Amino acid sequence: MLSRDGWAGLAVAAASLLFFALTLGLKHNPMVPIGPGFYPRIVLGLSAALGLWLVVADVVRSRRRPRARQAGPGAPRPANYAAVALQFALFGVYAVLLPFLGFRIGTFAYVAAANALMDPPRAASGWARALLTGLATAAATWLVFERYLLVLLPRGTWTGF
Amino acid sequence: MFELLLDALQGIMAAKYLVPLAAGTLAGIVGGALPGVTITMTIIVVLPFTFGLDPLQGLAAMTGVYVGGSAGGLVTAILLGIPGTPSAIATTFDGHPMAKKGEPGRALWLGIWASFFGGLLGAVFLIGATGPLARFALQFGPWEFFSLFVLALSMVAGLVEASILKGLVAGMLGLVVTVIGNDPVMGQERLTLGIPFLRGGIDFLPVLIGVFAFSQVMQEVERIGGAAQLAGRLDRALSLAVSHAKVIWEIVSRPFQLLWFAFIGVLIGVLPAIGGSAASMFAWDQAKRISRHPERFGTGTPEGIIASESSNNANVGGSLVTIMAFGIPGDAVTAVMLGALTIHGIQSGPLFIAQNAQLAYGIFAAYLLAHPLMVLMFALGARWMLAVVTVPRAVLYPVVLVLCAIGAYALNNTMANVYVLLVFGVLGYAMVKAGFPLAPFILGVILGDQIEINLVRALMTDSNLWLFVTRPISGMLLAAAALSFVAAIWQHRRTRARGAAGGEADF
Repeated sequence: MLSRDGWAGLAVAAASLLFFALTLGLKHNPMVPIGPGFYPRIVLGLSAALGLWLVVADVVRSRRRPRARQAGPGAPRPANYAAVALQFALFGVYAVLLPFLGFRIGTFAYVAAANALMDPPRAASGWARALLTGLATAAATWLVFERYLLVLLPRGTWTGF
Repeated sequence: MFELLLDALQGIMAAKYLVPLAAGTLAGIVGGALPGVTITMTIIVVLPFTFGLDPLQGLAAMTGVYVGGSAGGLVTAILLGIPGTPSAIATTFDGHPMAKKGEPGRALWLGIWASFFGGLLGAVFLIGATGPLARFALQFGPWEFFSLFVLALSMVAGLVEASILKGLVAGMLGLVVTVIGNDPVMGQERLTLGIPFLRGGIDFLPVLIGVFAFSQVMQEVERIGGAAQLAGRLDRALSLAVSHAKVIWEIVSRPFQLLWFAFIGVLIGVLPAIGGSAASMFAWDQAKRISRHPERFGTGTPEGIIASESSNNANVGGSLVTIMAFGIPGDAVTAVMLGALTIHGIQSGPLFIAQNAQLAYGIFAAYLLAHPLMVLMFALGARWMLAVVTVPRAVLYPVVLVLCAIGAYALNNTMANVYVLLVFGVLGYAMVKAGFPLAPFILGVILGDQIEINLVRALMTDSNLWLFVTRPISGMLLAAAALSFVAAIWQHRRTRARGAAGGEADF
């Protein structure tokens, strides 16, 4: 059975081979001795080989690997992957909605929601903290970037704001 | 050279440059002091603020972050026993015991002044060596550049603490990112999967910001709720008063040690990817070896603090040399600086000093001036900075991610870069969780185009592959790449053997 390293190696090898196959369709210009697929094929071939090596190394190691022990009471606290997935999803929603909502509304909503998810409010003051953090971030970044640094931030196609 | 430097120092004193330099230094110190926020993350956060500035203003701010951040980690390392940055880990060994013995002011200021002197010694190397090294690099043809980049990549892949194989895979993945987009010779579209945005290739800055910022923030998010509350560990009645003359004498009365530690820092800084943490650990170890009282190390000896902090700040000078003379970033911080140069249309590398003398000497001057500014800021607000570590992470991290989004968006005013940021954020986090080092990946992304261009140029000039080996400099660089690789394998095997002997076969 493959471990995380083996699966990672397999993914690298598969993606590299897929891209390698795509380079075979690249047209070679007869005027230029080195075609556009020359270097990518070297890189993708090497990365596919290294990915496969990772798989083989993992298989060889798995034969020597002792069985995983049960986590005892002194084991470290497990990582909160659900919180990570939520934060990634939230940022994804922010990135998708930013052109529609505009920077100010989008950032206010994102920061307030991210803050509330990372430190869930238990009382009204907690909600106020989340909203204020969102408001302050959106206002401060807007002022600094748009007014002082002349960096144009996205306007919302839905809100016009 | 000195005239140019004096002019640059005068120029950097103008408010136009002094304000970004001071702001960057302060941001670096605060970022460095915050456990869980590295110098890389701080410079990523500062990056979008530099877009509206002229190149020297932006680079002055970034140099300030680098210098301030390298010293900032010592505050919590000494007073709380928690290193603010990885490069301050060795400072905790003696800094925190000294603080616990009732000398927090002495410990803190030994670290600050050692950073100051170490940084200035690093500056001597930076100013003295960059020009000659750049002139040497001007002799390079495409064969030599190709071999140099291969050496850099092989060193990074081999010197990472994780497995060499994973380092190589990470480096290759970085190179794969660069083959997407138009080919550099004929501009023919390749591997874009029909996505128009990918025709121009993938900008390395959103990739860099994504992998570093997201991987770090998300690792902290994993632990949210379980982290120790730092606020409770602060002693509000702590006295940081100290005789500065005595502390400075404690440092300068060991001139050869100081020089040796700074040399270690500079040397490690020149090597790609081994940053301040390796420099400070190695210098601390060296200090223990050459000491007449090695048994005192780890109990609060001043040499331990001086070694760690002086080498750590001298390391910055070494890293800047590599980027200014060869165009190769020594670490993630200089990679962001390289990105800032690219945004302003400036090409780093051997011609950088010759073509941008004013800017290059401006960076030297900013680096020099950042050190007294750093000391001044510590003098004014060391106690206040300690309070900064109590900023709730739930407030800090969303703001950091918003600044990352602005940084990516503002590169070309396009949302596509924000999506690239997110995609590579997920990839960076997945790589960290799977034990793949990020440094070779990023170096691969940065050097990939140059490796391809130089390889193709070399082969189009002369298709004889042996030229890579028979041209003296190119051959030596490739031999060094092979040697570094063999050395890394030997080192990994030795570590593994030691682990097996100690009954800790955890590989």
